[in-house]
Amino acid sequence: MQDDTSEQELRERLSIIERMIAEGRRTTESWGWTFVLWGVAFYLALAWSAWVHSVWAWPATMLIAVIVTVVIASSKAGNHPQTTLARAIGCIWIALGISMFVLFLALGLSGRLSDQHLFVAVISAMLGMANGASGLILRWKIQLACAVVWWVTVVANCFASDTQSIIVFMGAIFLCQIVFGVYGMIAEVQVRKRRSLMHA
Amino acid sequence: MPDLPELNPVVHGRLRLALLSLLSGVDQAEFTWLRAKTQATDGNLGAQLLKLEQAGYVVIKKKFVSRKPQTAYRLTESGRQALAEYIHALKQLLGPAGDG
Repeated sequence: MQDDTSEQELRERLSIIERMIAEGRRTTESWGWTFVLWGVAFYLALAWSAWVHSVWAWPATMLIAVIVTVVIASSKAGNHPQTTLARAIGCIWIALGISMFVLFLALGLSGRLSDQHLFVAVISAMLGMANGASGLILRWKIQLACAVVWWVTVVANCFASDTQSIIVFMGAIFLCQIVFGVYGMIAEVQVRKRRSLMHA
Repeated sequence: MPDLPELNPVVHGRLRLALLSLLSGVDQAEFTWLRAKTQATDGNLGAQLLKLEQAGYVVIKKKFVSRKPQTAYRLTESGRQALAEYIHALKQLLGPAGDG
């Protein structure tokens, strides 16, 4: 077979393989909006629990956030391929969402959601774990920095006053959810622009 | 002189090679995504995917998303192995220059 296959053709085949493998790995998934959505959900849950003192504030908000995330994610999925890396990262965040819902539902219904410091420390530790795992897998320093902010929030909450605790928590939400999410959305737009220029 | 390796004719086809390479980098991919990446026509793409499926190199998964049919393709273990063997054979044929 190779007698009539020129070296040029063989090199071309090798180039096809390299190009296509790279194309497959280059995913165009967008995730920045999820951070913003969950940041807003945290603020809403905080406001709801502070004003009405309802045990349902956190579990209900978390459940609504999970449903909205699933609905938007399925509509955005389109024809993008699934990659192992994206699935691994997705699993971390899905597990975090389920853990938060189960924990806060149980804490809320049992009436043990009264210790604000412990509550903020737990939620911050969980977010630190998810951001840390995701940042380490992706080797992404900015997300690792977010994990550090959450871990600092855990420690600060154990020693701060009630007011300081909430201020630190709200600051961490703003930095690691809203700012990081908006940064992610801007980065996605820039990547898409670069790709469309390359393919033009 | 050592025997030169044979190139697998199923993998060697330009479009089939592109499809196997694309699928090797993802868990699974939709027909429309493969069409966009290869810029092949529906008919040609469907025919080449059928050949790969008949060879046992890809598996098809059909599902409905928002009432629309979606066909996803996944590389099988033998497909991955066939691609790896093809790349190895290609590099052998090209000699040391093909390793770069």
